[in-house]
Amino acid sequence: MSPREQTGLVENLKELIIGTLRLEDVGPEDIVASEPLFGEGLGLDSIDALELVVAIEREYQVEIPDAEVGRRAFASINALAEFVLEKGAGQQASDAVG
Amino acid sequence: MRFKDKIVLITGGIRGIGAALSKSFLQEGAHVVVTYSQDQDQARRFQKELGPGGSNTTVHQADASDFDAMKALFDNTLEKFGRLDILVNNAGIRRDNLVMFMSESEWHDVLRVNLQGTFVCCKLALKPMIGQRWGRMINIVSPSGITGRQGQANYAAAKGGVTSFTKSLAREVAKIGITVNAVSPGVIETDMTRSLPEQTLAELKQAIPMGHFGRPEDVSGAVLFLASEGAYYITGQVVSVDGGLT
Repeated sequence: MSPREQTGLVENLKELIIGTLRLEDVGPEDIVASEPLFGEGLGLDSIDALELVVAIEREYQVEIPDAEVGRRAFASINALAEFVLEKGAGQQASDAVG
Repeated sequence: MRFKDKIVLITGGIRGIGAALSKSFLQEGAHVVVTYSQDQDQARRFQKELGPGGSNTTVHQADASDFDAMKALFDNTLEKFGRLDILVNNAGIRRDNLVMFMSESEWHDVLRVNLQGTFVCCKLALKPMIGQRWGRMINIVSPSGITGRQGQANYAAAKGGVTSFTKSLAREVAKIGITVNAVSPGVIETDMTRSLPEQTLAELKQAIPMGHFGRPEDVSGAVLFLASEGAYYITGQVVSVDGGLT
């Protein structure tokens, strides 16, 4: 995947998080791709994670079967992009956008 | 028509309270997916009773506590309708005995169907309901689970467990537009209560301030209310439908 395509996926994930969680006053530029999504960083909580899991699974046809996989996938936007790419469907989604 | 085109899944929905619930949701415009565990003759009778309304009903044989079987049913329902709006966990069994004489299987069977079955179905309903940001889960519990009852330690433990499970899950999903409540029917005239000893029934009747047993339809009123739009601000609660018993 080219850097441009990866950037496209990262931006899509930011938009998905903002839209799914209806984050007011947060723009894609406010989310640092390397920072934690939960606790510190963006400050999401475990209930937000439920909605994100469902949204990511639907959008990218990946499965997040348990909390441990979820913790790794949701460590940061970069981690999430890697997870989506690793599972394959992210490549297609990114291509469609890019 | 409060439930027009809503998709409702009811476990243990072909007899007693479950059958009354199925009929009530159908009358209000819902499509009802019903499970039963064993009695195919009763399933046929139930479908016959529905008459033309039966076209909006899907009846499946499935053990509510069997994760794989229920997952197949949920997947099938979501494929067919694209959504699941309301889940009623009604499937339940009793294996009454005094604790000293209670076998391990009497204990495990009751916990499995009543408690694990509720966990399995709620878990499977979560993803579709979270995706919709709307859902209603209603678990059928029992006064035994609140006050305890001799000879029903297994059933009371299971229903008490479902009550606290209900309250916990309600907190987990409250922000997402999903409510989780319990309805606790008192003594309702069904096959399950008719199997109680006559003396127990007489004692129970005496303990009910209204002086008579309830009908399955009485339970439907509470369940349909909790499933309706109007009940959106009620979650984690137990509504007793028991003529004042508890």
